[in-house]
Amino acid sequence: MAKPPKQQPTSLPPPKSRRSFFAVFAAIVTGAIATLTPLAAGLVTFLSPLLRKSKSPQVRIALLDQVPDDGMPRYFPVVADREDAWNRYPKQRIGAVYLSRQAGEASPIAFTAKCPHAGCQIGYTAGNDVFQCPCHTSVFNLDGTRSRGDKEVSPRDMDQLPVELREIKLADGGAVTEVWVEYIDFQTGHKEKHPTT
Amino acid sequence: MTNPMRTVIDWLDDRAGVRDLVHEALYESVPGGSRWRYVWGSTLVMAFMTQAVTGIFLWMAYSPSTQTAWESVFYIEHGMTGGWLLRGLHHYMAQLMIVLLALHFIQIIWDGAYRAPRELNFLTGMFLMLIVLGLSFTGYLLPWDQKGYWATNVGTELASQAPVAGAALKKIALGGSDYGHQTLTRFFALHAGVLPALLVGFLVAHVLLLRRHGLHAKDPRRGPDTAFWPDQVLKDSVAALGVLAVVLALTIWKGAELGAPADPANPYNAARPEWYFLFLFQFLKWFPGELEIWGAFIIPGIVVAVMFLMPWIGRSRVGHFFNVLLLLVLFGGSAYLTAQALYDDNFAAMNERTEENQARYDASQAFIEAKHAAEHDAERVVELALSPTKIPPTGALTLVYNDPYLQGPKLFKQHCASCHNYEPISTEERSSSDMVNDSPTAPNLYGLGSRKWIEGLLDPDQIASAHYLGYIDSPFASGGEYSEMVDFVQESLGEDVEDEQRKTIQAAFKKIAIALSAEANLPEQQAKDREDAELVAEGRLLIEGGLADILESGTSCTDCHSFGEMQDIGSPELDGYMSRQWLIDFISNPADERFYGESNDRMPAFAPHDDPQLNQMDQKSLQLIVDWLRGDWYRADKATTASKEK
Repeated sequence: MAKPPKQQPTSLPPPKSRRSFFAVFAAIVTGAIATLTPLAAGLVTFLSPLLRKSKSPQVRIALLDQVPDDGMPRYFPVVADREDAWNRYPKQRIGAVYLSRQAGEASPIAFTAKCPHAGCQIGYTAGNDVFQCPCHTSVFNLDGTRSRGDKEVSPRDMDQLPVELREIKLADGGAVTEVWVEYIDFQTGHKEKHPTT
Repeated sequence: MTNPMRTVIDWLDDRAGVRDLVHEALYESVPGGSRWRYVWGSTLVMAFMTQAVTGIFLWMAYSPSTQTAWESVFYIEHGMTGGWLLRGLHHYMAQLMIVLLALHFIQIIWDGAYRAPRELNFLTGMFLMLIVLGLSFTGYLLPWDQKGYWATNVGTELASQAPVAGAALKKIALGGSDYGHQTLTRFFALHAGVLPALLVGFLVAHVLLLRRHGLHAKDPRRGPDTAFWPDQVLKDSVAALGVLAVVLALTIWKGAELGAPADPANPYNAARPEWYFLFLFQFLKWFPGELEIWGAFIIPGIVVAVMFLMPWIGRSRVGHFFNVLLLLVLFGGSAYLTAQALYDDNFAAMNERTEENQARYDASQAFIEAKHAAEHDAERVVELALSPTKIPPTGALTLVYNDPYLQGPKLFKQHCASCHNYEPISTEERSSSDMVNDSPTAPNLYGLGSRKWIEGLLDPDQIASAHYLGYIDSPFASGGEYSEMVDFVQESLGEDVEDEQRKTIQAAFKKIAIALSAEANLPEQQAKDREDAELVAEGRLLIEGGLADILESGTSCTDCHSFGEMQDIGSPELDGYMSRQWLIDFISNPADERFYGESNDRMPAFAPHDDPQLNQMDQKSLQLIVDWLRGDWYRADKATTASKEK
C-alpha cells in the first residue's frame, strides 16, 4: 500500500487591518468572559472563609472551689458548642486553659494552653514550677512569663484570658461561684497579642 | 493475505504518526552508552506513576470529612482485602520519592547537567520538587489521625505567621478559622487534583525539554552511543524494581502507620513533621522569639531563590563550584539537623538524667512517653473499631470518648491522682502507666473491689499501710479519730491470737473478701463469683453476724456497716460494695450517710447536685472513671471467645 502524501494544515500571515484589531479585541474579551466566569465563581467560593466572621465565646470553665488559692495552675478543658461547616457539635472540648489563684486573691487568672509560638498545647505536671511546651520546648514560669525571656523560642509570654466570676443562687438558699473565661484565640508567632477573630 | 495487526498499525501511523512517535520515544540516543547514574529521573517517573495508580484506588475508598476520613482510612487498612498493601505502597513510595528527588538533584548538580541550554529543564525540575513537597504536606493530614493533624497544625500555624498575607492564607487553606471538614476537602482537592495536575503539566514540560536538548552525558566518549531502548530502559527498570522492593519491604515490615483519630481537644505531644521536614523543624529552634520569621521564611526563601538561580550561577567554573558547595552544605546541614532533631527527641533513651541536662532530658522523656501513649491509643481505637459494634455514625472519636480504658487514666489524673495512687501493690506487676505520688493522701485504688484488694483491706499489715488507710494524716489510721476499722482488723489478728484461732479467722476473712467482692460484680470476676457461689453465701452469713461467733471481740461487720437486713449508718454501706452504682453514688457525695458521713475529712463531693452545672464533674466523666477503676471495658479477646461459644 502506497503511503498518501502527508497533509499539513496551512497557516496564513496575521491580518493587519483596523477591522481585524476589533476582531482581536472582541475575541479576547468574549473568550475571557467565557473562560473566566466559571473561574471567578470558583474563586469566590474558595475565598469565602475570609468573609466569615467568628466571635470568641464566653465559656464556663469551673467552679471557683475547684481553684484553691495555692498559686498552683490547674488544667481545665474549655467546653463549648463548636461549629464545623454543616455540623454543630454541642459541648465540645475546643481547647484548654490553666487557672491559678494566688493566696488571698478572690479571682483566678486564666492562661490559654495554646502556645504563643506555634500553637501546640503547653503542658503542666502537677507540682512542677514551670509550664513546658512539648513542640519546640519553650518553658514558662507559673505566672506565664517566659523562663529565659527573649531567649525562649516563644515570642511572648503565655496569653492571659479575661476572667469573670458569676454567682449562682441555689434552691437551698446557698450560692456557688462559677469561673467564666472569654476564650480568645490569638495569632501565634508575634510579640504582640492579636486575636484571630 | 495481509497481517491484520499490521493493517491496524499502518492505519494508526497514517492518521496519527505513531511509528514516528514510538521511534522518537524509544530510540533517543544516549551519548557514551547507557549508565546507572541516569536512572534517577526514570525512577521518579515510576514513583509518580505508582502514586497516581495507588492514589486513584485509595481515592475510591477515601471520604474526606472529620467523621469519615480516619474511618475510611481505617476501613482501607483493616476492612478491605489488600488495603494495607495499597496504602503501604502509597505511604512509603511518597517517602522514597523524596529520597529519589534528592538523588536526582545531587546527580544533576554534580554532573553540571543544569547548565545552558538546560536551564528550563532545571527550573521545571525545581517546580516539580516543590509540588512533590506540597503533595507530601497535604497528604500527611488526610488520614486525620493525631500525628498528621497536630503536625500539620503546627505547619499551618507557622505559615500563618508569614508577613502580610499569612493569616488570610491560613484561613483559605483551612477553609475557616479552625481545622474541620473544609480543611479536609481542601487539602484533598489539592492533594488529588490541583497538585497532581500541576505535576503532570511540569513533568510533560520537563520530559519534552529533556528530549529537545537530549540527555546530558557525563562522559560522552566513554563508549559508543546507544539507543534509549533497550539498554537504558533495562537499567531504569532494574532500578525501578529496586525502588519497589524497598517500598514493599517497608510495607510488609512496618506497614503504613495510622494513629488514633484526630482529637482537637487532646493534643498529640509528640507531634513532629515527617522525617524529611524534620530539619526545618529543628532549624526553627535556632530562632527565638520574633526571629522566627528568619528561620521559617526568609532563610528558606533565600535558599530556594538561590537554587532557582543555579543554572546562571553555574555558568562559570567558580559558579559551578559554588553550586556544588551549596549542595553539600544544604544536604550536610539538613542531615545534621535531622540527626540533631532525632537525638534531641530520644535524648532520654540514650543518657542519664543529670543536673545540667535535666531540661533537655525531661523534654525528651515527655516526647517518648507521649509517643508510647499515642501508639497505645491507636492500637486501642483500632481494637474498638474492629469490635462487633463497629464505628458509630458520629465517627471514631466517639469510640475514644466513650471508652473507659482510654479516658479513665486521663480523668483519674485530672481529678483523683493528686490524692490517690494507682499502682499494683506487688512490685512485679508495676508498669510505667501507673500513677504514683510519693506522698498519697488517700488510698491506692488499683484493683479496687477485687478479692485481692479486699483481702488487703482485711490484712492487719496492709490496712495500716499507705495503700489502704495509713496514708498521710489519715483519720482512719491507728490513733486517728476514726481508727475503728484498722483497730478491728489488727486486734482480730493480733499477736496474742492462737495459731488455730488465727487460721479460722483468716479463713473467715477470706470468705468475707470473696462475698464482699462479689457485691462489686466486677466484669473480670463474674465467672469466678458464679463458680464460688457457696463461698459467697458463707461469706455473706459471716458479714451479717456470723463473724461475731468466731471473734473474741464478738463483733462482726454489721455492727458498724449496713448489709442486707442489718442497717447502720456512719460507715460505708456494704450492699453493692464497689459496684458501679455504689461507686458513682460514693464519688458524687462521699459525705452522704450511706458512706462516710461526718468522718469524710477530705474527699470532695464531685457531683452532689441534681443540676449538673453545679457539679465539679459531669455524669459521663464520673461513669468513665468508675468503669475504668472496675476494669469494665471492651476486651477483644473476651469478645472473640464469646462469639466462638455462641
